[in-house]
Amino acid sequence: MLDDSHGDVLLVVVRGEHDIYTAPALRDRLDEAMAAGPVGVVVDLSGATFLDSSILGGLLEARRQAIERSMGYVVCLGEDPEPGVARILEITGLVPVFPVVRSHEDALDAARSAPADA
Amino acid sequence: MSSEEVPIVHLDLPARAEGVGVVRQALVGVADGLAIDEDVLSDAKMAVTEACTNAVVHAYDGHEGRLDVEMFADHDRLTVVVRDQGAGIAPRPTRAGTTALGLGLPLIAALSDAFEMRGGPGAGTEVRMSFHYERNGDPASENPITGGPGPSGKWES
Repeated sequence: MLDDSHGDVLLVVVRGEHDIYTAPALRDRLDEAMAAGPVGVVVDLSGATFLDSSILGGLLEARRQAIERSMGYVVCLGEDPEPGVARILEITGLVPVFPVVRSHEDALDAARSAPADA
Repeated sequence: MSSEEVPIVHLDLPARAEGVGVVRQALVGVADGLAIDEDVLSDAKMAVTEACTNAVVHAYDGHEGRLDVEMFADHDRLTVVVRDQGAGIAPRPTRAGTTALGLGLPLIAALSDAFEMRGGPGAGTEVRMSFHYERNGDPASENPITGGPGPSGKWES
């Protein structure tokens, strides 16, 4: 997991397989990103190869914090996501909730311009 | 002796978070020798992960316990059985410090071609899931996940 700052938006990059074992580390990274007080946070899943429901729980908790702090919050899937990663977001109906977007540019713009919806 | 009766893989692991990925790797290894559709394997990885995670998070309430997984390859389907000897399937609050979204069972139902759960208070839990190597439909359309995240952070259907 890497962080990268794009001006006022913080990018949290999630690569590889993630499940209940790595969920606490991801939660810590997201907490830190939120605490840094950026205008918005983008969670980049374009390099993720596997996610389970405990990771979705961490991403939803971060979204809740973003709403509380009136920060932007966007999940970026990339143009060529791992099918299983796209599938868990689609079948849970979470694509419009986070929201989930494909391109990095769209993700950065959305995180910068709009606070997360309640 | 039919292939239904003898598992091609039998794992007996400590019910800890790091074991879930081991089960997933074993599943990928088993699938390597089967004519299983790539999307079915992807769904199986997720469903089996959720079943193992339930055992790790809920079964033993923080105490040591075992996670028992068997995989059976039949002529047209892979069946995975996940067992624990824990507190059973009676719903209990998750202990402080752990986080469970409550999406595990809905995901298992949406991603497997058939699944059943057995057990009860004090009797442990067994989750049996099967996955057809080739599918006609999408189980996620037949057993769609409803609801969404509630204000508490739990899934509300």
